[in-house]
Amino acid sequence: MDQSLEHSFVKQLEEHQNVVHKICRLYTRNQDAHNDLFQEITIQLWKAYPKFRGDAKFSTWMYRVALNTAITLYRKSKKGVATQEFEGVSFKIASEKYDDTVEQQLKLMYTAVKDLNDIDKALVFLYLEDKSYREISETMGISEVNARVKMNRIKEKLRKILNP
Amino acid sequence: MDQLELLKQQWQAREQELPKLSFDEIYPMILKKSSSVVKWILIASVIEIAIWIGLNFIMPESSKTINQGMGLSRVFTLVNVIHYTIFAGFIYLFYRNYQAINSTDTIKELMRKILKTRRTVRYFVYYNIGTSILILIAVNIYYYFNKELLYELMKSTFTDGFAELDMATFTSVFFVSQIVVGILFIGFIALIYYLVYGLMLRRLKRNYVELKKMEV
Repeated sequence: MDQSLEHSFVKQLEEHQNVVHKICRLYTRNQDAHNDLFQEITIQLWKAYPKFRGDAKFSTWMYRVALNTAITLYRKSKKGVATQEFEGVSFKIASEKYDDTVEQQLKLMYTAVKDLNDIDKALVFLYLEDKSYREISETMGISEVNARVKMNRIKEKLRKILNP
Repeated sequence: MDQLELLKQQWQAREQELPKLSFDEIYPMILKKSSSVVKWILIASVIEIAIWIGLNFIMPESSKTINQGMGLSRVFTLVNVIHYTIFAGFIYLFYRNYQAINSTDTIKELMRKILKTRRTVRYFVYYNIGTSILILIAVNIYYYFNKELLYELMKSTFTDGFAELDMATFTSVFFVSQIVVGILFIGFIALIYYLVYGLMLRRLKRNYVELKKMEV
């Protein structure tokens, strides 16, 4: 395999790895599974890389492959039991600007998002990433109108879970 | 403020809490082997196709002698020619569908293609089970109408087992055992399929249904 291609791929992935970590965190429940999924996404990205022509931004292109891997291609490994404490990690009290209630709300919301089904979770993820409905529809393969309607329903669902 | 909006606001701001892998940590990852669902589906499918093709070759010599004696060898040759042509068609379709699977497709398209690839193999199996049943029925009907000849042939082929049986007992033993073995065989295959499909495709199907629901 071409060494410079390998080099430029790893360099770009290193730069944009946050996207992959965020997906891993949403779709797995412990550190082992997180690492496993990260590994599989990396392989799938690398396999698809020759087709990446730079007509889109590397990060935009990543979303599709990474979500496809998390939702469809990744085979959940049996190792490691789901640990609840991991879920809170990214919203541990990290900043002093927010009081406990805000932090608590964030945690609850994040847990509620994690409990959504795989497809709804992908939609919410793209929404949180501040993607436009056009981009969301292009990644998911559904129409823009349907993406919008579905997102409103999910928002409603989440609201009901958190404010019963 | 809405909690989801609150989460969105914090979403990018908290990226520094995510793990950070170095170039040297990521690099070895691209050399590892994938263990994706598609790969497992490919392996399972290739095994299935190989088993079905293999089954055609392990017919015991004695059955061949019987079929020949019963005057069926020409019919079987013709059946085999048709059979293998259809096999080749299935393998081509499977390969084409498999090649079309692409991780850069949209989420929906990817799922559709994987399910389609899997469906080809399922039809291949249905085809095999179906023709097995048909051949079993047709051959047995033919045997039944020529049972005297069959009895003589069996007596001369299996000298020790059948020699003591009279014609009537032989007929009932032979046809009952054919039916029992046939049902057991098909039941066994159906069970294996239920397990393989159930385990491998459950999540994929569920997600595909979820996504299809959005279209309504």
